[in-house]
Amino acid sequence: MIWLHHVAKLYDTGPVALPALTDVSFSVDKGEFVVLSGPSGAGKTTLLRLLYRDERPSEGEIEVAGFDLVTLRRSRIPLLRRSIGIVFQDAKLLAGRTVFENVAFVLRVLGTPRGEITPRAFQALKAVGLSARAQAYPAQLSQGEAQRASLARAIVKAPALLLADEPTGNLDEDMAAEILELIKEIWTRGTTVLLATHRGALAAQLKRRTLTLRAGRLVKDEG
Amino acid sequence: MFSFLVGEAVRDLRRAGRVGLSAVLLITLSLAALGAFWLVSINLERAVTQWRERLRVVAYLRDEPRPEAVAELVRKVQAVGGIQRVRYVSKGEALESLKRALGAQSSVVDQLPRNPLPASVEVTPDEATATPEGTRELVQRLTALREVEEVQGGAEWVESLAQWRRLFQLTGLAVGAVLALAAILTVTTATTLVLHARRDEMEIMRLVGATERVIRLPLLLQGMVQGLLGALIALGGLEAAHALLAPRLEPLLTLTLGLSRAAFLSAPEMLLLLGGGAGLGALGGVLAKGRSFA
Repeated sequence: MIWLHHVAKLYDTGPVALPALTDVSFSVDKGEFVVLSGPSGAGKTTLLRLLYRDERPSEGEIEVAGFDLVTLRRSRIPLLRRSIGIVFQDAKLLAGRTVFENVAFVLRVLGTPRGEITPRAFQALKAVGLSARAQAYPAQLSQGEAQRASLARAIVKAPALLLADEPTGNLDEDMAAEILELIKEIWTRGTTVLLATHRGALAAQLKRRTLTLRAGRLVKDEG
Repeated sequence: MFSFLVGEAVRDLRRAGRVGLSAVLLITLSLAALGAFWLVSINLERAVTQWRERLRVVAYLRDEPRPEAVAELVRKVQAVGGIQRVRYVSKGEALESLKRALGAQSSVVDQLPRNPLPASVEVTPDEATATPEGTRELVQRLTALREVEEVQGGAEWVESLAQWRRLFQLTGLAVGAVLALAAILTVTTATTLVLHARRDEMEIMRLVGATERVIRLPLLLQGMVQGLLGALIALGGLEAAHALLAPRLEPLLTLTLGLSRAAFLSAPEMLLLLGGGAGLGALGGVLAKGRSFA
């Protein structure tokens, strides 16, 4: 599902190029649940952005869901992203739309037949336990609910791969545990998961394969 | 998908708010100005065509020919070239014609000791000759005929009317272009504001795999809708003004230009105006897109 070979990413921020990632190589098989761990600034977000082709690597090769991301043309990026669900630390919900509309928005944007939109959106909301809050606006949600809505939006298009960037970063422990439980449930239905977190304890608690990044380098691959 | 795109465009229109309204207003003004000049130009063109068709050169004869010599004279006149039709008018016909023109006062003619009017030939120039230069040459050729005393007629004033028409057309285009430019800039500004308001949405759209076409099309559509709205209002305004003013102006038009009525834009011309409005709006949308995506 994911394959990286000697990947490096440098940011040109003036006279000196700052390395965000250096010589990173690993692969994730289809159906795996992998935790990407490391302190803030270790390069986790940069790595995820490379995977959904928001950034291009400065060096190395990347393949995701059968797409070669180094040679991938701009016009084909949407095809890659349709097979990826993304969850961020801030839920990134659209403020002017209800929870249901936020989830249905994805399907409408992708040209899903009208008759399928409502049942699929409700199915996704049900999967994250948020059906009762479908008509609420983001401002009326708790942080945990907002993150669950964000998860529903990520899974509504049934992606093969779920990338979660610090999905529990803004949540207390109980809420974080709830979200992790939901992500595990999504994984058990066959979605490959790559979850980035700076919380070492959380990574340990998940008891899954863990890739540890430190200062842009992959220093550990265990579990 | 189409309903989604249209829905997003309508949502964008609402977001554009007052700037969007200004854009619609400017498009209305530019197309109304363009349309008004176009209307004047169309009617002048009708007058020019009508007068070109009515253009006559009259050659007054020294003596009235004998009836058996008329056919030969007509052939001779026809032979000078550049002529579509020749009509012989005898002294008697000329007098009858004068009587008809005088109407109630026609009895004045009966007081005349003798018919003072000369016989003449009325010459209709062909299409190629119905120009100031062509009629001038025709007049010269007719004057050279031994039987002809004097020649009257020319296309100068018709051409001067044609020049006025061209001037109206150009002025209309210039005024319309300046206003259209302002309209495009306003639509661009309105769309740029929409783009700022839509930033989050567009980010989500890109992240979930929407194509650039789906992301950009609502912007284009909302620009087009603004343009179309402006064009519809302009067209409505022009039609209302025409309905109000035409009956009042028609006597003057008949007197000065010989037009029985003031024509309005034809269906294809109205469609062109509407298309122009939609095009202006779309261009504004595209330009804003270009600026924002650069």
